[in-house]
Amino acid sequence: MWKSLVAAVALVAAIGSVHAASAVNKDAETRTLVVTEGGSKTDLALAGGETVEFCPNGCFVTLPNGDLEALTGSETIEISGGVARIK
Amino acid sequence: MLFRLLRLILLLALVVSAPMSLDAAAQGLGQAPAGLVADQQKILQDLTTKTDNLEKKIQQDAEEDSSLVDIRLQLEELSRQSLNSALAFRTRLGEINSRLEQLGAAPAAGQPPEPDIVSGERQALVSEKAEINAVISQAQALSIRISGLIDKIGNMRSELFRNLLTKRYVLSDALSPQVFSDAQDEYTNLYKAVSSWLSFAFKFKFQAILAATFVALGLALVLLVGGRRLFGRVFEADPSNQDPSYLSRLSVAFWSTLLPTLAVAAFLGSTIFFFNYYNVLRGDIGLFLNALATAIGVVFCVNRLTNAALEPRLPNWRLIPVESGPARWLVRLATAMAVVISVNTFLSVINDKMGSPLSLTIARSFVATIVVGIILILMAMLRPFKARDGSWRPWPAWLRYTALALGLFTIVAALLGYIGLALFVSLQVVVTGTALITAYIGFLSAQAIGEEGAFANTTVGRWLSAKSSYEDTALDQLGLVVSVAINVMIVLVFLPLILLMWGFQPGDIQAWAYKLATGINIGSVTISVTGILSGIVVFIIGYFLTRWFQGWLDGSVMARGKVDTGVRNSIRLAVGYAGVALAALVGISAAGIDLSSLALVAGALSLGIGFGLQNVVSNFVSGLILLAERPFKVGDWIVAGDVSGTVKKISVRATEIETFQRQSVILPNSNLINNAVGNWTHRNKLGRIDIKVGVAYGSDVKQVHAVLLEIARSHPMVLKNPEPFVLFSNFGPAALEFEIRVFLADVMNGNIAQNDIRFAVLEKFSSEHIEMPSTPRAVVEAHKPKAWPTDDDKIEADFAEQEQIKAEAEAEKKRLVKSRKTKKPDPD
Repeated sequence: MWKSLVAAVALVAAIGSVHAASAVNKDAETRTLVVTEGGSKTDLALAGGETVEFCPNGCFVTLPNGDLEALTGSETIEISGGVARIK
Repeated sequence: MLFRLLRLILLLALVVSAPMSLDAAAQGLGQAPAGLVADQQKILQDLTTKTDNLEKKIQQDAEEDSSLVDIRLQLEELSRQSLNSALAFRTRLGEINSRLEQLGAAPAAGQPPEPDIVSGERQALVSEKAEINAVISQAQALSIRISGLIDKIGNMRSELFRNLLTKRYVLSDALSPQVFSDAQDEYTNLYKAVSSWLSFAFKFKFQAILAATFVALGLALVLLVGGRRLFGRVFEADPSNQDPSYLSRLSVAFWSTLLPTLAVAAFLGSTIFFFNYYNVLRGDIGLFLNALATAIGVVFCVNRLTNAALEPRLPNWRLIPVESGPARWLVRLATAMAVVISVNTFLSVINDKMGSPLSLTIARSFVATIVVGIILILMAMLRPFKARDGSWRPWPAWLRYTALALGLFTIVAALLGYIGLALFVSLQVVVTGTALITAYIGFLSAQAIGEEGAFANTTVGRWLSAKSSYEDTALDQLGLVVSVAINVMIVLVFLPLILLMWGFQPGDIQAWAYKLATGINIGSVTISVTGILSGIVVFIIGYFLTRWFQGWLDGSVMARGKVDTGVRNSIRLAVGYAGVALAALVGISAAGIDLSSLALVAGALSLGIGFGLQNVVSNFVSGLILLAERPFKVGDWIVAGDVSGTVKKISVRATEIETFQRQSVILPNSNLINNAVGNWTHRNKLGRIDIKVGVAYGSDVKQVHAVLLEIARSHPMVLKNPEPFVLFSNFGPAALEFEIRVFLADVMNGNIAQNDIRFAVLEKFSSEHIEMPSTPRAVVEAHKPKAWPTDDDKIEADFAEQEQIKAEAEAEKKRLVKSRKTKKPDPD
């Protein structure tokens, strides 16, 4: 009984989990991404070692080196040494 | 403005760098696919033009809600497209960036210059990147602009809605005799349109109409008959059933609403589909038919629902316990309300398409709202319940007054000329009321399923208990889970539905749900539902993985490896604790709770905890030591202080010991570590038992010694080595005292051996005429036999009865012996 329940809950959790883009800052100092989402630009400051989920439905991001990138909302941005990579 | 400036600068940079990039292009690595930038630029320009057009259209259709919604959807699509066009550059940008990294930074002023080829390529790459960035920023600007337009549409729509609710019409114009002639004109127009279509259809498309109707009818019949066959048992109320359970009443109500409604919907939908397919429909007729079909479907559904819930003919099957007469009236009133609203909606479609004068629309809405208001008041005035003394009782006060207030409000609003507001309220009463009633019935069914034993009686429950090994209690728990799930589902389905009806946008609801799921910030703490849920799920999965691993290690690996029981138990417990602790840690971090912020608090608290929970901690540590050191294992016979018994369970705080009187004693582990613990069965079960025997002064002690030794040696349980020993222990006050000391292989058998030896001693002593002295304590009168009775018949009957009781006892004993394994008595 419990096993079936756990299986059901796990299934629901797997289906229901929300996907969003995430950004990881592997550097020690704070890095800033500029996120354009839904008509407004916001600065997303990432402290050293911080991981942030953002942008569920697609957005534009200005990376620390000035590059502009479009995100669909399922990517992971990894910042290390001041350089951001999209995976 | 800034953006334009940037674009200008970028353009200049492009022009300047163009010749260099041409040079570099010859040896550049992995050139861009030809015209990628140009392609996307073209797409973006296209999108921009479309956006311009839509922006103009917004101004044109500012008064029409439905077309604004449509524009909003198109704009959202455009926004997605612009994002996609920006996405096309991702691979190229990645290539450029990695190549730039390989090339390295340009040499500083003092350093030796690099080869031209390298600097040329770098220049080319940088300029291409700038070009790409310019296009992406174009896309970004477009998406910002589109978002602004979407916001504007939202504002305009709420403004429209406010206008609709607060606009006041002059009723004297609308309700003048002019309206009748307008209605007459409109009716003539409609008649002409429909009759011309009908004559066209019969002349040219008669076969198509026949075919379409028959196919649609067939589909509906298949659905209805198939549904009846499949769910026949639960579908129809059985009049002979005097007391149907609430659950069966609910399922009958549910299915007898759903199936016929589905059949009718299928019939109407497929008719229209096939009419479309055969091109029977012309002009506005399709729209009229759609509206008519919707109206018929809504009326049918409301009628079925009220019939199913109120069952005017079968009082036993009624969901809401009103009397039969009022039930009939309620069904009629609800159906009438649905008819009025549906007809009004249908006529509004016709009015729209026919371009009728405003006064007609106002008059129609006025009549409809007044009728709905009157029906609401009638419903409120109804007295549906009967008291014990036969008098009729009204609805509960809150329900009565709410309905009355709504009805009066609608009528007053309509009379004052606020037709839009009145229409909105009456529509909400019907639609939201239906949704609320359905949700309420759903809640009731969840409650009924959650009751004890109810789930096992449902079809699913019966199927589960037949097909699986679920116990009744497990089924009951499952029922509870199902009931909770139904409740959650109802909230998840009906809350957004009602919000949608009240004019909220799906996007808003989605955004709220997303915010709720990903986290609400309160100060610096983020609370997120998904985080907490995923933490719990991770913990549960970790817990069950641990249990499974534990079982596998214990049952398969260690049992096969012939590992000692104590070690097995220790390892199993240690693995269990470690696994659960690990699962808890992983779960907490999956829930997004930062453990490092807890560290400070934990550090401050640990001192207090150390003092406060001193005993618990010391027991805990002792438990770990017990597991590692293993002074005893489960099943051992230990003596700790006053307690003597078998160890049942060693857990982390305390150890459970069962005494031989079957009393469970929970001993804190620290007692077992700090104090002496005797273990009869530590390394082996070998043990010595001592039996004291006294003989009278004057007996032949040599003979006694020999006899006792003989008895000890001859007992089968007594070990030969170490040899049994008879000790002449004392010249006692009343007897010469001997002690038989024998070793047994299993000290648990001590009582049996003691018994045997004592019996043997008595027997042997009496045959050898060795006396055992005893100090007389009290004079006991011996029982005299009863006098010889005289009533023979009674004796015979008594004797027969006794014989029977004896025989029964014998049989009982045999049965018991058969059913139960004979167990040896416990040692003391």
